[in-house]
Amino acid sequence: MKRMKSLLVSAVAGATLLAGTQIAQAGESKTNPIMGIPSAALARFGGEYGVHNWVESLFYYIMLDNRINYIFKEFGNVDRQIALNTQLETMVLGGPNEYQGASMSAAHADLGITMTQFNAVVEAAYNACERNNIAYYTCNHLIAALAPFTRVIVTK
Amino acid sequence: MKRVHMRSLRILQCAAVLAAGLAVSQEASADIYNDGKVLLTGGVFTVDGAGGGGAVPWATISGYETRDGINGSAAFTYVNLPALQVSFYGVNVGFWDRFELSYVDSRLSLNLPNLQTVALVASLADLDIGTEPWNSTLGMQTFGAKLRLFGDAVYTSDSWIPQVSIGGLYKKDRNEDLVKTLGGYKTKDYEIYLAATKIFFPISTLVNVTARYTSANEDGLTGFGACKNNGLGTGDCDNDRELRWEVSIAHLVAKNTAIGGEWQQHGNNTGGQSVNINGLNLTPIAGALANLGIDLGSALKQKNEGDWFDLFMAYAPNKNISFVVAYLMFGNISVAPDQNGFYFSTHLTF
Ligand code: HEM
Repeated sequence: MKRMKSLLVSAVAGATLLAGTQIAQAGESKTNPIMGIPSAALARFGGEYGVHNWVESLFYYIMLDNRINYIFKEFGNVDRQIALNTQLETMVLGGPNEYQGASMSAAHADLGITMTQFNAVVEAAYNACERNNIAYYTCNHLIAALAPFTRVIVTK
Repeated sequence: MKRVHMRSLRILQCAAVLAAGLAVSQEASADIYNDGKVLLTGGVFTVDGAGGGGAVPWATISGYETRDGINGSAAFTYVNLPALQVSFYGVNVGFWDRFELSYVDSRLSLNLPNLQTVALVASLADLDIGTEPWNSTLGMQTFGAKLRLFGDAVYTSDSWIPQVSIGGLYKKDRNEDLVKTLGGYKTKDYEIYLAATKIFFPISTLVNVTARYTSANEDGLTGFGACKNNGLGTGDCDNDRELRWEVSIAHLVAKNTAIGGEWQQHGNNTGGQSVNINGLNLTPIAGALANLGIDLGSALKQKNEGDWFDLFMAYAPNKNISFVVAYLMFGNISVAPDQNGFYFSTHLTF
């Protein structure tokens, strides 16, 4: 019974992932920070598994923050976003590009995200690093890798 | 004329304080009030009032507001050097992370035995030179505005283009007599600066370079330009502005703690001059004192002004308050050699 349920959940998750890639403009590519990303960055995050843990913490802090959690409640899907963000962050930290979601511009275009809201997510990102014992300097590599998305995500 | 001028300055001063107060009272009514910047990314409070490091104004706009609103801050800074202490009280307001207004009131108290001797002599001779025995205070008001021209110091990690701002400062010395005694020419003047700031996340470091067009002596605290002592009382005065460079480097060791250093190039307008008493060359007085067995000749010669260096640590436990402690290496200041000492600053953000 339990097994059935988890199978069902993963099937649904898979379906939404697929649907997502079909409706929105698919894919996103690595960013190009001027000083590069050290080859050890992904390993210092604990590999893909570590990145997944970090994303879990990220959403824990996002959903606790009343300045932004309502946006995710209304327009987001936390499970899907944890899966997709794990892929995206693994990629920008130098891992393989297995990202199956929408482009950052397509995913955020209609949300009217402000700089203040974006910074709130960045604060959650630092909190997640602290929570997961990821060194501040290592955390900054991820911030450097994600920062260029600000241009398309912040539309207000 | 002078009165009118004073009046308009007063009004400006009131406006700055009012604007700061306004930003605070907006807190309750949300909307325009904003504190959405990430910790420390607005910089701290410079002695000029502009947002930046300790002495060097940065291209960042002060306060924690983003482009979505307004934020204000107030600061108190205390500098303790062997021969002088300076207090700076200031406020500034940042608008939409685009524009900044600032006001600072500074008070520098000199405790120089050699200057006090002159003060004693001058008071005996009934000369008003702006310094009284055992009490010489140089006050200055600084009004500032800064406009962000382009760039984003924080998030454009895939480009070398920094955030660039242009700023203007208008400074007015209170103790005009003492500024003149110390060899300065103008007691009020403007400065213009262009600042470029960028955070390099991979090395957790903020770098700022500023070019300032100025003729200030010790940041304006001892006036602008110089009058060469020709002993005739007419003076040979000039106020040649020049471009001077300033650099700040701040390394973030944690999201709320930065350590770093600054360098601020200074001019040397008054170096080599002896203290100037009502346009008179000091030689006669020094001579008179020499008759009394006191050798003042070299003690009252202005030392060459040194560039300012400092090493600092900034700590921001939250978005309401930050503290900066610094060790200053200011070189020679006026007639006082080798001024090294401490700096303590508290910055309140609303
Ligand atoms: C660099 C920062 C950010 C990254 C890397 C990021 C990443 C992502 C990813 C990977 C998705 C999934 C796209 C898909 O469903 O195909 C997503 C969706 C979403 N993001 Fe972000 N995001 C960022 C900033 C923000 C901010 C600041 C907000 C709001 C405050 C936000 C709100 C949302 C919402 C509501 C969705 C769901 C949209 C939908 O399903 O239609 N994101 N984001």
